[in-house]
Amino acid sequence: MDIRPDLAAAISIAWTRIGQPGTWWTGAARVAIAAEARNAMACPLCAARKHAVSPAMVAGDHSDLGLLPAAAVHAIHRIRTDAGRLGETWFRQTLAAGLTEDQYVELVSVVAITTAADSFDFAAGLPARALPAPVAGQPSLRRPRNAKAGPGWVCALMPTDRTADDPDFFGTERGAAHIHLALSLVPNSAIHFWDVLETMYQTSAMMRDFARDYRAISHAQIELVAARVAALNQCLY
Amino acid sequence: MDGATDIGVSHWAELMALVDATIGRDSAAASAARTTLIAAIGRPAMLDTAAVIGGFDGITKVADATGIPLEPGKAAESAEWRTSLGIDRFDAEKT
Repeated sequence: MDIRPDLAAAISIAWTRIGQPGTWWTGAARVAIAAEARNAMACPLCAARKHAVSPAMVAGDHSDLGLLPAAAVHAIHRIRTDAGRLGETWFRQTLAAGLTEDQYVELVSVVAITTAADSFDFAAGLPARALPAPVAGQPSLRRPRNAKAGPGWVCALMPTDRTADDPDFFGTERGAAHIHLALSLVPNSAIHFWDVLETMYQTSAMMRDFARDYRAISHAQIELVAARVAALNQCLY
Repeated sequence: MDGATDIGVSHWAELMALVDATIGRDSAAASAARTTLIAAIGRPAMLDTAAVIGGFDGITKVADATGIPLEPGKAAESAEWRTSLGIDRFDAEKT
């Protein structure tokens, strides 16, 4: 298929990387997170909650694959199917149910990458890709020592607080916009997500360079498409 | 949007048809939208549209699941039209 080579490569690399050991989850667990994110799309409880005035009005159990702890399943299903109505109370309850903040951030990155790849394939008329093969090995379990309270619910690593031991997520192009900080508590997860996102969309520099179109659709068309996706997903940011 | 208003972006209706079909996971509508979009702006443009759809379907999960607020400057700049477009009601529906 005539997909831009850099785009095809970025999605393929990101997809394969889901199967590698992360910072807080094993490769097998990360593949299970991706599988559960897909499975959530067919969960009757999630469908009922999505159509309810408030998701809290609908009780029940998720239809899950049985591969992950209940707290992870609950988080994955809500993030994949109804992220726009997540609030801080839900977040605190989810952590109290058995996830660490670090595990949660990495889980969010895997769900987001799975969503991005699956939605691209669906929109382009491609079959859903096979889940990546899990790679053996242990997670690194390393939290940036200078991480502190972030702009959202989770801690963040500011660009100026990064030490030489922290993977370099920020580089020269990524700054302290809240969306850049969102996954920065787990730098390798932030890198994982942003490397593919910037190829699917644009880098910050491309976005601001209105003298040139970097894609086969214009800046205005790109932003219209992005805004429509955000609106349908009820994303306030 | 009502489909009859020209919003000033070329082929906006064709672009949004693919967005709506994808987020709604409507295979028949997505197939029809791709055919129309390719006829209007070509296959490379359809594929880049699909890439933006995928990327933003992912990034909205990151933004919403981590609870990041708008930066103060952006919030101030967008206050009026966020209210007029009804975007602020999204916040009231969070649980």
